[in-house]
Amino acid sequence: MRKASILLLLLMLITTLAQAQTSDAAMADGLRANGKIYVVVLVLATIFAGIIAFLVYLDRKIKKLENKK
Amino acid sequence: MRQMWWKVLCVLMLAYTVVGGFLMPVPRLNIVNETIRNLYFHVPMWFAMILLFTGSFIYSIKYLHSGDLVHDIYSAEFTKTGILFSLLGMITGMEWAKFTWGEFWSNDPKQLGTAMSMLIYFAYLVLRNGLKDEEKRAKISAVYNIFAYALMIPLIWVLPRMVDSLHPGNGGNPGFNSYDLDSDMRKVFYPAVIGWFLLGLWMATLKIRVALLQHKDDNSFQFDTEKQ
Amino acid sequence: MPTNTLVSLVRKDLLIEWRQKHTLFGVLLYVGATVFVVYMMSGQPEAKIWNALFWLTQLFVAVNSVAKSFLQEHPNRFRYYFTLVKPTTFLLAKIIYSTTLLLAMSLVSLLLFNVLLGNPLEQIGLFVIITCVGSISLSVVFTFLSAIAARANQNAALMAILGFPLVTPVLMILSNLALKAISPVYQPGWWSLAAVLLLLDALVVVLGLILFPFLWQE
Repeated sequence: MRKASILLLLLMLITTLAQAQTSDAAMADGLRANGKIYVVVLVLATIFAGIIAFLVYLDRKIKKLENKK
Repeated sequence: MRQMWWKVLCVLMLAYTVVGGFLMPVPRLNIVNETIRNLYFHVPMWFAMILLFTGSFIYSIKYLHSGDLVHDIYSAEFTKTGILFSLLGMITGMEWAKFTWGEFWSNDPKQLGTAMSMLIYFAYLVLRNGLKDEEKRAKISAVYNIFAYALMIPLIWVLPRMVDSLHPGNGGNPGFNSYDLDSDMRKVFYPAVIGWFLLGLWMATLKIRVALLQHKDDNSFQFDTEKQ
Repeated sequence: MPTNTLVSLVRKDLLIEWRQKHTLFGVLLYVGATVFVVYMMSGQPEAKIWNALFWLTQLFVAVNSVAKSFLQEHPNRFRYYFTLVKPTTFLLAKIIYSTTLLLAMSLVSLLLFNVLLGNPLEQIGLFVIITCVGSISLSVVFTFLSAIAARANQNAALMAILGFPLVTPVLMILSNLALKAISPVYQPGWWSLAAVLLLLDALVVVLGLILFPFLWQE
């Protein structure tokens, strides 16, 4: 379950990155538009995803602890 | 540790960082353009990582001094949170590098140093998982942690300078040399570092509290059987 | 007298090494086979690749020869040793022993590299010195890690997992230092790099001496 969700997340990440890579030739693609501000958005979104992943992990751990009692 | 004020401070600082990070003026540079704002989000990950590893190091020393398993739990959970931050720092760094310098992996000494420290702490986790006896695991992993940290920190700080000084001209990334933190950026950067670090500390303390509960739970079970 | 026990401990290890010739020749054979495989794969490479291959070989030789220092002895025998000597003396003896062993192995592999893979060295004396310093640094780090691995009841694989990331920077410093002996390029940071390496070695020894007693408290 957890492995599958991590895999899914990775796949999503890879596909978005691959899409960004294919349109490399044109400099005005999405992430490079408007002075590359969307790169900053992407970075912040990554950190956000990391924190959410942490919360999910902690949630599962606490649930396990609760079920034990 | 259970006090509220630093958590409030953390939230305020991060809110200020996110809003100020996007809206405050930054120097206009050619290649990095607006991505210089990543300084507020990517770079503090490294600071948080180093500080969390430092916390783990301190608690390892405390463990060896006291032999109290609680200190070992502190040390292990600090390390795990530090690894999360190193992963975030690595991924965000690669994203930033891809869209400004064109490569995910550009053999940058800082990147190499971080990759190495990640390997070191993954090895730490492997070592911990391999040992079943609690006391033994705590002792051996504390010894390894102190050894690894003491070797890693000077190398992370020294090696980039050494490698650069051996290959003059290779080191400077475009754009990176030209920014000096000007006063506008400092106004956001320092709160950003503090905010992200406090967030890391918060996350680590949550993990520690869960681990402590688990530890108590495991031990109290033993206690109950003894009573019967 | 701690120095006397130190000397006798080192002598004991070396004597065992000499009497059990099969393990010694096993390591020698390992060195020879490794260099030969490298030669079969690369022929006579250019100087920079030669350097990289040499240090890589050193790494593997170090893992295999130093692993013996703690892992070859039965855990129960350690309990006996610790009734006799102080842990720091014991660690120092092991360090000296594995350093001696690795020094010999490094020189053998350097010789083999010269014979098989060609000789790109401009300053042979300097390269030999760097090889010696390198084998001292590698053996010091790996001795301590093999102590950890032995205490964790694990095999040499754990030592490699623990050691490779720690030792990579040391190897990088070494190969950068060795470049001076290979090509006459002017390297401005050479002396400070050498100083860093020596400081690191000192740090590892001091840390090992401080931390080793904790490994053996039961």
